Amino acid sequence: MANVRLTSIQKSFAKTAVLHSISLDIASGEFISLLGASGCGKTTLLRIVAGLESVTAGAVEIDGRDVTGLPPEKRDIAMMFQSYALLPHLSVAENVRFPLRMRGIGNREEQAERVKAALETVQLGHLSERKPRQLSGGQQQRVALARAIVSKPKVLLLDEPLSNLDARLREDMQVELIEIHQRLGLTTIFVTHDQEEALSLSDRIVLLNAGRVEQEGTPAQIYSQPATGFASNFIGSANLLPAEIFEGPDGPVARFADGQALALARTETARGAVTVALRQEDLSLSAEGNGPRAKVRTRVFLGARNRYVMSLAGQPLRALTANDLDFADGQEVSLAIDPARVRIIRD
Amino acid sequence: MNDRMENLLLALPGLLLLVLAFFLPIGQMLVLSVTGPEGPLAPFVRFLSDPYYLGILWRTVRLSLLITLICGAIGFPLAYIMTKVGPRLRLWLVVMVILPLMTSVVVRTFGWMVLLSRSGLIPEMLRDMGLVGRNFALMQTETAIVIGMVQVLLPFMALSILGVLTRIDGRLEEAARTMGCSFLQTIRTVVLPLALPGIVAGSLLCFTLSASAFITPNLLGGTRIQVLAASIYKSVTATPDWPFAAAQAVILFAGIALVLVPYIKMTGARNG
Ligand SMILES: Nc1ncnc2c1ncn2[C@@H]1O[C@H](COP(=O)(O)OP(=O)(O)OP(=O)(O)O)[C@@H](O)[C@H]1O
Ligand SMILES: [Mg+2]
Repeated sequence: MANVRLTSIQKSFAKTAVLHSISLDIASGEFISLLGASGCGKTTLLRIVAGLESVTAGAVEIDGRDVTGLPPEKRDIAMMFQSYALLPHLSVAENVRFPLRMRGIGNREEQAERVKAALETVQLGHLSERKPRQLSGGQQQRVALARAIVSKPKVLLLDEPLSNLDARLREDMQVELIEIHQRLGLTTIFVTHDQEEALSLSDRIVLLNAGRVEQEGTPAQIYSQPATGFASNFIGSANLLPAEIFEGPDGPVARFADGQALALARTETARGAVTVALRQEDLSLSAEGNGPRAKVRTRVFLGARNRYVMSLAGQPLRALTANDLDFADGQEVSLAIDPARVRIIRD
Repeated sequence: MNDRMENLLLALPGLLLLVLAFFLPIGQMLVLSVTGPEGPLAPFVRFLSDPYYLGILWRTVRLSLLITLICGAIGFPLAYIMTKVGPRLRLWLVVMVILPLMTSVVVRTFGWMVLLSRSGLIPEMLRDMGLVGRNFALMQTETAIVIGMVQVLLPFMALSILGVLTRIDGRLEEAARTMGCSFLQTIRTVVLPLALPGIVAGSLLCFTLSASAFITPNLLGGTRIQVLAASIYKSVTATPDWPFAAAQAVILFAGIALVLVPYIKMTGARNG
């Protein structure tokens, strides 16, 4: 267990700046998610914490000690690679035992026991004698996960550890990760581009956008109070519509480009040109109603729910609805939303 | 006509050439070694019961092993460095390594003779630095043979290993580092095992080529320090004794084959 402190980390490859002054304070035992679109610098940041990448400027501290110039093997971390990086010449069990062997943790029996326990955690106890190339992608990923957790490092770095698993196995592994984290209290940095995973697993989410921290906070904060258009679009994939707010007879009203208006909460203080963020799951649709009207373009069947893609004031608008609602393409529907759930992002 | 027949027909000219140019001479040599005037096995008995010739055999094997070992010890780090530097520098290194192969063996060996002779650059320098005595000589020693052969064979070793090393995912080394390996431990536990096929292939090339080498050992070792190939040459030219020369060739052939078998088995088991 150890805290991690990143101070104004900058990283450039050749002349391209990839990370712009990232500062982060991660408490001992905290489970933090780095969330962001592909190519935003998540892996790079993780590699800097691991010591695999040098920094252009800034400092990395682990457990109160400046480790900026320290090689990875001296940092007491474990990292799970996005590409797994299993050693092809070793069996599954030998791969998982590798960090124990190299760090000299425990004697042979203790190592064997820990390897067995780690492999059972990821439900792969029966494949311990196989070579990595005899495993499926998802199985390889779980071996890599077992290898990362087996040595109980001070800091656990996971680069998209569940990206290749089916929905069921993914949920199982999420539960395991939460339990491992509660049991061992390892400081964990978890990289993902799956917002639901970040929301359900972490103590804190750091939202990265093009090498900058866009917003950080608890999952609840990030979800309910996205600070920027990027944040609200990324989390809950909200619809972003340009609008203008003015004072109506019953409180503030947002008017879209085509003149239709949406009532806002009385407490809303913003005025003038803004962006209105409407979450897909917060919108309800009906054939008759007095809300703004949008035209249905297409319906996507999602099993438990339907997604309607509509257009409002020339902008695409998506809504998640119960699957018994049935509107035809081209039909005009009325939108309704709880005014308290409308987010206003000032431009 | 089915596919197999067609393929066979297409391959026939090549096969014929192979048989004529390759198997026929070897077969002839085998026959020659057992059809001497003194009886079928006499040349073999003569070779294997004469300490002089056994000494030559032992020297050939010993020097070949030493040359292979030195080539590996230089070739592996060299190949590893080549994989880590940029593409431009790598090209220069490859050119540098294979440059010796572009000149004739004889010219190259005469170059070494100039450098290593009693008044040559290297012994002079060593004498001036006071590292060796007045009588120090490099020419006509086993050391000279080893130096000359390592230069010739290094590219085979370095390029065989380079081929394998470039296909190893660099992230494996990074992963090993995050799991507590120092740089040297990473080399030992990850890079060396994965480079083994290349090391084996390079060693085979080096060993077989140095065991059958003739010009370089002959010119640098002189008549006093003979290897098997030189001894064969002498048997043919000095006292034209074809059966004895053929017997020595068969022994050389068998010796190399004996070394190849376990190697091939080992790599076969690895891939199968
Ligand atoms: N070695 C490198 N040389 C040059 N550019 C690099 C290098 N590594 C990464 N980059 C660039 O840095 C940026 C961030 O890469 P990074 O791998 O950190 O993204 P990521 O957030 O992990 O993306 P993903 O979700 O796709 O894994 C990318 O634009 C990438 O092209
Ligand atoms: Mg990545």
